[in-house]
Amino acid sequence: MELDPLALSLIYQFGTNAAFLFLAALGLIVILGMMNIINLAHGELMMMGAYVATIAHNQAGLPFPLAVVVSFFSVALFGTVLELLIVRRFYGRELGALVVTWGLSLVLGQGTFLVFGPFMPAIKIPGGSYSYGSFSFSEYWLVLIGISIALVIGLYWLYRYTKYGLQARATMQNAEMAKALGVPTSRVYTLTFSLGAGLAGLSGALLAPTSTIAPFMGQQFVAPAFITVVVGGAANVISGAVGSSVLLSAIKTPIGMAFGAFLGTVALLVAALIIIRIMPNGISATIQKLMDRRRAASIS
Amino acid sequence: MKKENTPDQTDTNNVVEDALDENADLTFTRRTFLKGSVAVSAGIAAPAYLAGISKSFAAASGPVKIGHIEDLSGNLAVYGVQKDHAAQLAVKEINKGKTLKGGPAGSGGVGSLSNYAVNPPVMGNGDKDLKFVNDGGDLSGSGMAFVEDEDVLIDSGESGILGREVELLHPDGQSSNNIWQQLTRKLIQEDKVDCLVAGFTSAEREAIRPIVDQFKQLYIYTNQYEGGVADSNTFCTGAICEQQVIPVVDYMIQRFGPRVYTIAADYNFGQLTAAWTRAFAPVVGGEIIGEEFVPLSVSDFTTSIAKIQAAKPDWVFTLLVGSNQSNYYPQAAATGLEYPMASTVNMAQGYEHRRFKAPSLDRMYNCVNYIEEIPTNRNRAFVKRWYEMFPDDPYIGQMAQNTYFSIHMYAKAVRIAGTTDQEEVKRAFESGLHLEAPEGTVFMEPSTHHCSHYIRLATADADHNVSFVREWPSIQPWWLQRLGVNLVRHKEYKQYIPDEDPFFKG
Repeated sequence: MELDPLALSLIYQFGTNAAFLFLAALGLIVILGMMNIINLAHGELMMMGAYVATIAHNQAGLPFPLAVVVSFFSVALFGTVLELLIVRRFYGRELGALVVTWGLSLVLGQGTFLVFGPFMPAIKIPGGSYSYGSFSFSEYWLVLIGISIALVIGLYWLYRYTKYGLQARATMQNAEMAKALGVPTSRVYTLTFSLGAGLAGLSGALLAPTSTIAPFMGQQFVAPAFITVVVGGAANVISGAVGSSVLLSAIKTPIGMAFGAFLGTVALLVAALIIIRIMPNGISATIQKLMDRRRAASIS
Repeated sequence: MKKENTPDQTDTNNVVEDALDENADLTFTRRTFLKGSVAVSAGIAAPAYLAGISKSFAAASGPVKIGHIEDLSGNLAVYGVQKDHAAQLAVKEINKGKTLKGGPAGSGGVGSLSNYAVNPPVMGNGDKDLKFVNDGGDLSGSGMAFVEDEDVLIDSGESGILGREVELLHPDGQSSNNIWQQLTRKLIQEDKVDCLVAGFTSAEREAIRPIVDQFKQLYIYTNQYEGGVADSNTFCTGAICEQQVIPVVDYMIQRFGPRVYTIAADYNFGQLTAAWTRAFAPVVGGEIIGEEFVPLSVSDFTTSIAKIQAAKPDWVFTLLVGSNQSNYYPQAAATGLEYPMASTVNMAQGYEHRRFKAPSLDRMYNCVNYIEEIPTNRNRAFVKRWYEMFPDDPYIGQMAQNTYFSIHMYAKAVRIAGTTDQEEVKRAFESGLHLEAPEGTVFMEPSTHHCSHYIRLATADADHNVSFVREWPSIQPWWLQRLGVNLVRHKEYKQYIPDEDPFFKG
């Protein structure tokens, strides 16, 4: 059966939109979703990842995949320092954390501007394009969709099946109890924050070839990231983020294609509004509730 | 502080002997005094039509203050810093006794006031040595006539303006309209600047224009914009739609075909420029087959690209603004979108052809009044001067050049007026002032307070080399004239929009 080019294009657009939302939210899933820190410097962490990748690739001559790995570890290291010096003083004080991370974002953005100037030379988008009918598709975006899926599986595995994952979930649920049971909560907090920062850096590096490398580039990711995480909810952050990026993209793509980018964005925001109204704790809480109900029904 | 008719006229005419002497101390020798008197008598000999302009050589003291607001931090700093550097360069040159050629056009007599009279444009030496370049910008037997001109920065005969040093007050607008308003009030009320040069986005301009009008402040807006501002206190030195959109649309339709797809930033610049395109394309046989307005926050263009592919245009008109939206180019290239593109804003301000890897901007046609690569001697000299002062700058954009020549134009207007009194200087701006800017000759059109520009069509090839395929040595800002605006006779303080012109209806 011949697939209609328009349908294939819509599937591709749906995939890239969902991957974009998921990657934008990646670091925030951990930092806001698990640690409940409203991290307004999220965009700047992504910007740092993009800068590290750009410098590693364009100036140090590393191959791009290696540059992405370098970005992950560099920004994770920066995250560790940030946690030890500043962020750990604000656990449990959500508004304090909000203000301090906002200040950090200003310092990082303007600092980058002063050191590196207005723009960095871009990274060439790896790979070419396929055409099908009158449409064509970027290979790099197809790879990004694959990487997003791999990251979901990796994160799920990390938090479900490793010792760190267990300790982290215990600490986030009840730090006092976890501590009493011998979990080194302070180290878990540091590790979790630096993992979140590293993931933000990783997705910044992955999205770098598709965007302008500039000091304030991070701001473009902040709104989609917060919408994705908040709509996803905190009950299970990973499934929540996947659910919300898939759902929001499924609404945005056809409306954007039919009525243009403006109404596509409006549709995304309206959808987020409605979802939060009818599912105040996010998609993941609703899924959790449904699953609990089904389990309860099967027991009785 | 002006019009104290004290006898020490010489103070303002304290012509410093050595143009490069930066320390223009106000003591004067007999020799400088004599030079000053010559300048005064030249002023008195001004022709009748400038008689209204007062020659009150008032003993204003202290420096001439130019207020300059641009964004040095925040999202728009990537463009603001260029313009700030342009202002610094112009002020430094004025203080070192330099000026750009030019003066009131049309009468040799008046030119003497502004130091140099106008030369009529000359193409080559007679008709014998006329040079031509082809579409690629290379010298060839026929094609576009092309002439190498000389540098246009000449001695002004004094350091500073009217012997007074020029001081640049250039605070940071921080990419926030509120801060722009505060700074405008401070510069006008506290610092009492003689001239305000400011504004990147139309939103910033509209935020401060009411304050400018409240205090009747002489204000120069140097950005390329959507056009239509008719304000007695405001002078707009950037290129506008009729100067950029019409030439490029005309060329693209002839060269690539009539089916146009417009993708534009969703705010007043993008909307109004698209309206111009919509109104004008049919006149030259074109047809808008699709139009999309993209919010400034959007940075993922997958869907927009698919829509363009579905529409199959002959070429795409990209009116995208800001660093988020320039993501369109690498994304479109990676998706294999290979339509020719045209624009009025890209390359010449955000230097996308330098930042993005080739061939993202292959076959991009840009209609601009300035771009760093303009291959004339005067521009090469300007670019050299710039990088001597700011060796680390990445690029000199269209608006930076506008700010640069605007400040030189202000200096010229003050010399014509003989005073920094703002009403007098505004009238000098309305005296038919022309200037040899790095782009070419610009002319301040008195009735609309907008400039005629030397417009060039620049294009990037698959390796992002820039060449020039067409040029229009002087395009008038005619749209406000068409609407009957004449600020010399009737004061106005508004911005016209295309809906007020029947041409744009339907």
